[in-house]
Amino acid sequence: MSYSDKVIDHYNNPRNVGSMDKKDADVGTGLVGAPECGDVMKLQIKVNPQTNIIEDAKFKTFGCGSAIASSSLATEWVKGKTIDQALEIKNTEIVKELALPPVKIHCSVLAEDAIRAAIGDWKKKQETAKPVEAQAAQ
Amino acid sequence: MTDSRSSLIMPNSSPGQAPGEATPRCWSCGTMRAVHFCSSCGKVQPPVPVDYFTFFGFPRKLNLDTAALEKEFYALSRHLHPDVFGQSDDRERAWSLEQSSMLNDAYRTLKDPIKRTEYLLRLEGVELEEQSKQATEKARATGELKKQVVPPDLLEEVFDLNLHLEELREQKKAGEDDPALLEEIGKAKLSLEEKYDALFGELKTEWNAWDKLVDSGTEAGQRKILDAMLDVLNRRNYVRNLVRDVNEALE
Repeated sequence: MSYSDKVIDHYNNPRNVGSMDKKDADVGTGLVGAPECGDVMKLQIKVNPQTNIIEDAKFKTFGCGSAIASSSLATEWVKGKTIDQALEIKNTEIVKELALPPVKIHCSVLAEDAIRAAIGDWKKKQETAKPVEAQAAQ
Repeated sequence: MTDSRSSLIMPNSSPGQAPGEATPRCWSCGTMRAVHFCSSCGKVQPPVPVDYFTFFGFPRKLNLDTAALEKEFYALSRHLHPDVFGQSDDRERAWSLEQSSMLNDAYRTLKDPIKRTEYLLRLEGVELEEQSKQATEKARATGELKKQVVPPDLLEEVFDLNLHLEELREQKKAGEDDPALLEEIGKAKLSLEEKYDALFGELKTEWNAWDKLVDSGTEAGQRKILDAMLDVLNRRNYVRNLVRDVNEALE
């Protein structure tokens, strides 16, 4: 199996590798795994609470080239999007963009899962943070 | 059990027939036949699409007598070997070759406890990747969070250990040495190996539950056991890959 040029590009020059403080109230963290291959992917987003826009995204993936490329692309795509827009990203779009072969589709599924998990984590933080703010305001 | 297996070469019952198929007849003499040879005239038969358990005349159970399997494999190998059919007609030669190749695949799959389990899951229609994709599509449609098949604490452990391993590799490259890091990785490795063994125990518990259902002939509850087995195998994949990576990094 050979990788497409886009996969190789993301693999050699992964965008947005790194991590953010997962305790930060504006940061959402998604940690997901693909049991088919044992890959593990962490994707983090930093959201502006006023605009709901994802201002920054970081990832760290331990896995094959397709998994790294899928998550690298995912961070590029979510940046600048609102939470709702980011939730519309489909794994099939990642497959198309990276020309992933059928055996690597699960990598794109993993990347979509990571986006959703990160957004889910951020939303949960927002919900738990609100009552505290309300109390503080009283 | 042993009795019925020892008669596999020339079975007079029909353990080798695919369920629901019309009784195949011997191409040569026309009587009912089993998978490999005609029970009446002993001629080699064209392969029929049967699963590997059926091929060996075993029930679809996971606790498998591997000694009996091996014995059967060698016996069938001898009888099906293409050399035996040197003087036979072309069809028989071709069939013996096909049967031999299926025999090898079946043996390799059933002999290995993990491959055997994975094979049974496939036979029973448990497709991991398909399930995962559907769960993601459902999460997209409903806005609910997808339940990850791997428990979060295991994922954390996997992720952290991978970070340590990366650190170790970089240190090695730079010619540095960090005893504290090595010790930490060593400890993690021990805990992983324990986990790995424990997971096999968990799998065997599910095997027993499955075999009991097969014996009782009930289908209720099958799905639950199959899902539990899949869950164990999923976690095991992670631990296996990690142990492998740790060993590579420590070399």
